[in-house]
Amino acid sequence: MTEPLLSVQDLHVHFLAEPADGRGAGAVRAVDGVSFDLAAGQALAIVGETGSGKTSIGRALLGLHPPGSTWGSIRLAGLELVGSAEAEWRPLRWRRIAMAVQSAGTAFDPVYRIGEQIAEPMREHLGLPADEAATRAGALARRVGLEARHLRAYPHQLSGGEKQRAMLAMALSCEPEVLIVDEPTSGQDVLSRAQLLDLLRQVRVETGLCLILISHDLAAAAQVAERVAVLYAGKLVEVGTAREVLEQPRHPYTWGLLNAYPNMTTARDLRGIRGHSPDPSDPPSGCRFHPRCTQAVDLCRQAKPPLVEIGGRLIACHLGGLQTLLQASDLRKAFSSNGKGEVVTAVRGVSLEVYEGEVVALVGETGSGKTTLGRLLVGLLDADSGHVVFEGQDLAALNGRERKALRRRIQFVAQDPFDAISPRLTVAAIVREPLDVQRFGSVPERAKKVRDALRAVGLPAEPPFLERRAHELSGGQLQRVAIARALVLDPKMIVADEPVSMLDASEQAKVINLLKEVQSERGMGLLLVSHDLALVRKVADRILVMRQGQVVEGGPASRVVTRPQHEYTHALLQAAPALGWEVGQV
Amino acid sequence: MRARITSYLVTLWVVLTLNFLLPRLLPGDPLAALLDPQSSDYVFDAEVRAALEACYGLDRPLLVQYGAYLRGAVTGDLGQSIRLNEPVGELLTGHLPWTLLLTGSALGLASLVGLLGGAEAAWRRGSAADRLLTAVSVVTSNAPVYFLGMMLLIVFGAELGWFPLAGGRTPFSHYDSIPAATADVVKHLVLPALTLTLSLLGIQFLLVRNNMVAILGEDFMLVARAKGLKPARLKWRHALRNTLLPFVAHLAAQAGLAITGAVFIETLFQYPGMGRLIFEAVGARDYPVIQGVFLLVAIVVLTANLLADWLNTRLDPRLAEEVSR
Ligand SMILES: Nc1ncnc2c1ncn2[C@@H]1O[C@H](COP(=O)(O)OP(=O)(O)OP(=O)(O)O)[C@@H](O)[C@H]1O
Ligand code: SF4
Ligand SMILES: [Mg+2]
Repeated sequence: MTEPLLSVQDLHVHFLAEPADGRGAGAVRAVDGVSFDLAAGQALAIVGETGSGKTSIGRALLGLHPPGSTWGSIRLAGLELVGSAEAEWRPLRWRRIAMAVQSAGTAFDPVYRIGEQIAEPMREHLGLPADEAATRAGALARRVGLEARHLRAYPHQLSGGEKQRAMLAMALSCEPEVLIVDEPTSGQDVLSRAQLLDLLRQVRVETGLCLILISHDLAAAAQVAERVAVLYAGKLVEVGTAREVLEQPRHPYTWGLLNAYPNMTTARDLRGIRGHSPDPSDPPSGCRFHPRCTQAVDLCRQAKPPLVEIGGRLIACHLGGLQTLLQASDLRKAFSSNGKGEVVTAVRGVSLEVYEGEVVALVGETGSGKTTLGRLLVGLLDADSGHVVFEGQDLAALNGRERKALRRRIQFVAQDPFDAISPRLTVAAIVREPLDVQRFGSVPERAKKVRDALRAVGLPAEPPFLERRAHELSGGQLQRVAIARALVLDPKMIVADEPVSMLDASEQAKVINLLKEVQSERGMGLLLVSHDLALVRKVADRILVMRQGQVVEGGPASRVVTRPQHEYTHALLQAAPALGWEVGQV
Repeated sequence: MRARITSYLVTLWVVLTLNFLLPRLLPGDPLAALLDPQSSDYVFDAEVRAALEACYGLDRPLLVQYGAYLRGAVTGDLGQSIRLNEPVGELLTGHLPWTLLLTGSALGLASLVGLLGGAEAAWRRGSAADRLLTAVSVVTSNAPVYFLGMMLLIVFGAELGWFPLAGGRTPFSHYDSIPAATADVVKHLVLPALTLTLSLLGIQFLLVRNNMVAILGEDFMLVARAKGLKPARLKWRHALRNTLLPFVAHLAAQAGLAITGAVFIETLFQYPGMGRLIFEAVGARDYPVIQGVFLLVAIVVLTANLLADWLNTRLDPRLAEEVSR
């Protein structure tokens, strides 16, 4: 392999905290050991949440940080840039590495015309006379879709999108070898966002420059760059081809980011990754993502995971990436219905996975075998053949005691709470029952757990309500009690069978949102069994469609809803009235 | 621009009115000063007093006096000085050029030095030189003008004898040539103008420095640096150019300050400008002169404001647009 055009090794950017803020010396570790290579003509997208250090990397590549705050190595065609003096940086800036900055709105000097500002670097670096620089600025402006009148305008006379384009024209003016584009689409409507991404692709093709796209939008990044690097709190956590990272994220953070990002094609309700981004002046120990990671183990708190190659991409995770919580392979189950030897096959060879912290919806019409499958997955039924592996344990291999212990980890919420719950029990007794069965802690501890679980589902946790009997509750309340009962043992996963089918439409939405909320807060896996595709698509990360005991289609919720592959899914979508137009559009 | 001029006219009227009322709110009256029992020509005579009051129109109702005053202000007839018994208009035209010369040269010098020094300090913000200059500026801008003037007077006037101690030019002198006359005037101007410059410079410097430091932190300055522009271009063409906007906006206020400062300085250096005129007129409750002087000062300050506004619309394309709308 030839030497890369741009090679960044172990780059650090630490800002000294303001001495004015009395707390003193905690440096802001904006970038903390980032490495990547870029060959000529390649494009890399750097993706991460706000404050993860993306812009700081971009600025470091232009030597714009205060002296002493950047170390590591940045080599441009073999030339080491870190540690260069301002005078050595100057001829490189814009001429060889240029940046279309994030805040195009304030990036232009308010007192000079746009055209003049685009021409300025050409005069400075290429020594062009004023008229020639102006002619070239005109050509650049046309290239990015601006007109002559925009060049004559002052910055305050352009719209945000026009300024972003002008910024791009300015960045291209000296034909740099490396172009950094920082959040080119922020604050844009869908249409201009698409146009800008198109434009970036064109520019790449026409100029063959080396592109670094900085964005918080994974999908946008993948449209322009062939490689994606995911940044979390100043460290890279996953690097791979755009396609791989986007379609099969392997790091828990990438996975969360992808699920949190609004997708124009689904009406999915969004919930970000639980917790919030760390304070860059005091990052968490070990893996910086551990306080938010649903699968963190002790090691994660103690040691920093190195960025290593796993299956063709780079991942920084002690567990090698996202864990499979539940895996079922080729499950089959038949019932002999009435003792006469007549056999009904409910589940015929189903395989599925649920990842850590994932919401999977299992959708199908009545009788398609959904409930049977759900009961097989939690070990309430034994399969005729096939395996269920939960957290690495094969359910079939468990003895009685282990099976009881399993209940602490995986819970089942039954289809009809009126059926599953004895109407004469009090609310407190219903919710406490699993604790009693598991002989969990002392009596006051159990009472506290019960109250916590009730609060988590938005029910009162005071004596009058605790003493109410099941038959005195409304459907919505009873369903919440059933969920609280499933939560009380802090399970790692819940399988909920038609948890809202007994409720009216507005209660349905509320309870389903509640489930999603509890799930993301506690970092659980959730398998949602339902016949209502329109409802579950709002919360599901992935949808599996089941028909006659088989899974006929499965994939990311957005894909299944907008581009269904199986005709049965099509039919289900058509049947959901609210979705009809969306399907028609595609 | 029309709206702006209208607002200036309204301001002018308010000033005119205040100008009429304020001297009359001062304790005492012009005739009391003239009829001072301590003074040698003291005659207390009710008839004389009444005659004098009638002569200066002080016996008429306030509203009538106000009307006459307004009419006079518009037609340029500012009345007679009670103390000096001379037309106020003539008094003013005799004194105004001196004050304009003093404040104009001080303001110009302070602006020039403030701009260059402030820009340089901002560029090297945090350096020892910046911190020293900033500290010195804070001190001089808060030091009483009187004190600054005295120091200069003692050192350069009395001790070294480089400059004359008082006056606007050598008394009873006849000049053979224009250069000789100019040299004499300049020589007398140096110390008062320097005093005023020093008292204005601190504020000018801090204004430029602090505004430019803020501008250096703007995104567009980072972009300009990322574009690989030369430091001189960054400093002058981008940073200082933008600093001019707040600077010019403050210039009008500075003109007001300069004139106030001039009152003290002219008294100290016995400089023949408006400052001394005011000082003496207030002492004598000489209403027509006080009114005339303040009116003129107000007009000068308002004109300076209008000029600064106009200049800013030329400098800032964002304002230019608002105005043309
Ligand atoms: N000049 C600076 N001085 C001190 N701290 C800074 C400076 N610039 C950035 N930071 C801090 O460094 C961290 C990373 O900032 P950076 O701008 O690189 O984030 P980003 O990933 O680009 O975020 P966004 O998506 O919001 O643009 C943040 O915590 C930020 O507050
Ligand atoms: S499993 Fe551990 S190392 Fe991996 S992302 Fe989660 S916290 Fe980090
Ligand atoms: Mg940024």
